[in-house]
Amino acid sequence: MVGRAPAVTVKHREMRNERRGRQPLLPLLRPYLYLLPTFSFLFIFTHWPILRTFYVSFFKWNMATPKMEFVGLANYAQAWNASLFWEVLRNNLVFAAGTVPLTLALALALALLINQKIRGLAIYRALLFYPTMIPMAAAAMIWLWILTPNYGLLNYYGKWLGLPDVHWLGHSKLAIWALVMVGVWKRVGYYMVIYLAGLQVIPDYLYEAARIEGAGPWQRFWRVTFPLVSPTSFFVGVMAVIDAFQAIDQVYLMTGGGPGNATNLFIFYIYQNAFRFFDFGYGSAISAILFLILLGLTLLVFRTLHRKVHYA
Amino acid sequence: MRSRSGWSLTVHALLLAAALMMVVPLVWIVLTAFKERNEVFSQVPQWLPAHPTFNNFLGVLDAMPFWQYYWNTIVVAFGILAIQVVTITLAAYAFARMQFWGRDVLFILLLVQLMIAPQSTVIQNYITVTRLGLLDTKLAIMAPYLASAFGTFLLRQTFKGIPKELEEAAALDGCGTLRFLLYVAIPLALPGYLAFGLVSITYHWNEFFWPLVVTETTGSRTLTLGLGIFAQTAEGSADWTMLMAMTLMVIAVPLAAFLLFQRRFINSFMQSGLGG
Repeated sequence: MVGRAPAVTVKHREMRNERRGRQPLLPLLRPYLYLLPTFSFLFIFTHWPILRTFYVSFFKWNMATPKMEFVGLANYAQAWNASLFWEVLRNNLVFAAGTVPLTLALALALALLINQKIRGLAIYRALLFYPTMIPMAAAAMIWLWILTPNYGLLNYYGKWLGLPDVHWLGHSKLAIWALVMVGVWKRVGYYMVIYLAGLQVIPDYLYEAARIEGAGPWQRFWRVTFPLVSPTSFFVGVMAVIDAFQAIDQVYLMTGGGPGNATNLFIFYIYQNAFRFFDFGYGSAISAILFLILLGLTLLVFRTLHRKVHYA
Repeated sequence: MRSRSGWSLTVHALLLAAALMMVVPLVWIVLTAFKERNEVFSQVPQWLPAHPTFNNFLGVLDAMPFWQYYWNTIVVAFGILAIQVVTITLAAYAFARMQFWGRDVLFILLLVQLMIAPQSTVIQNYITVTRLGLLDTKLAIMAPYLASAFGTFLLRQTFKGIPKELEEAAALDGCGTLRFLLYVAIPLALPGYLAFGLVSITYHWNEFFWPLVVTETTGSRTLTLGLGIFAQTAEGSADWTMLMAMTLMVIAVPLAAFLLFQRRFINSFMQSGLGG
């Protein structure tokens, strides 16, 4: 009996090996077959374009030079020396600096209000969230009408709020703030909902403990709520910055980048160079720059998401 | 007790103020859409239409192939979703429940789609679509979205939650992987599909920039483009009542769907934020 035991094991192992040897090809290939459709599309429309954008950015390729011609870093040098490139970058930073903190602060405040157990919650939530559902193109139309000089609502009622009575979209300093206003209006409900998800995981006993310790509502916010939603704030903040760098519909439809180039943002600048001036080389170079900016921001989000998972 | 009701009054007042700011623009365009063309040119805003009229809506139908745009939008949004459902189901299942060589690397390559802004590759995708002979077709609008990292990620979480024993029991009963997927895994993941579907349809219904780049004629253009192009024509940009009527016609159905299924939409968008 003692001697047989290893024999069984050996035989068992042989059987297993035999089975592995006989294993048909299909089960081995099955996962790859399942992934094939996704990865074919991903390769053609995501991976390849990224590599190719960087590749093309080293070539001169435009109307005058229809055959690609290697020029090294010339397109990047062109961007570096173009005052318009820096103006676009600055516009986009102003746009981000205008939209992001305002959207976040309002979204958090609204989420806190909605999170109170009050009547009519569903109605408030729907009214605050609906701009997320409509196309930016439609939002642009609505705001074009509201911002129209002479007949628009904003100039008439804006006086009550102390806003200047001007042609907003034709004003070189104010036009970008009109776009900021539209951006906040369109996105605040969405970020409110994300905050709501963050608020709902904060356990009630923390608030009760704070209350027992004698903390008022103000202190409870700064000592309990604010630190505990900070991962959400960070996530939402970076998402909002990325959003700000992707803004295009409202630029295209409301200002066309003007007056002058006062509202020319990154994607619109790419659009102009590639599809109006047909300069694919330079367009690719600025696309590559934008790609790197956004990639940096996104990696930041992914790293914090990782940390968030660890916390939980 | 009194301070409690005082607090809830404050909350209501603040929320009401915020909700008004959000909703006044919508009310304003609805009212404008029913006004007569010249009624809007008054220095003091007149809220209610003096002679409510449907002419603006009829005018939109005359001024552009509205129903053609509508049909194109439906084909694009639902077409993308139909293909996405197939691609994300297979990929999510492989990532959730199969062991294979290179899985982690492939998963990261999938996540690249979440990490990059589609706008930053728009030039190259335009070139690709042109070379494939798809320029100015509905398929061109759909092409870059047929695989979805977000959808795959969402479904993978659901598929991971299905107990291994269930699959083993099914296998003992002679149920192969595909049958298990079809009859067990997919039905169990229906809420995930619904959430993904709502986000996907909304996104593609609303999209403007990519369709703008790859379409040239009314045969492939979507509603948002029809709206944008009309607004940039001479007669469109001066005719506020018609423009607002068209805006209303573009947003009416999605907005009604949202109001009816508010909870589902909001929960779905919540997940889209958490998923990337």
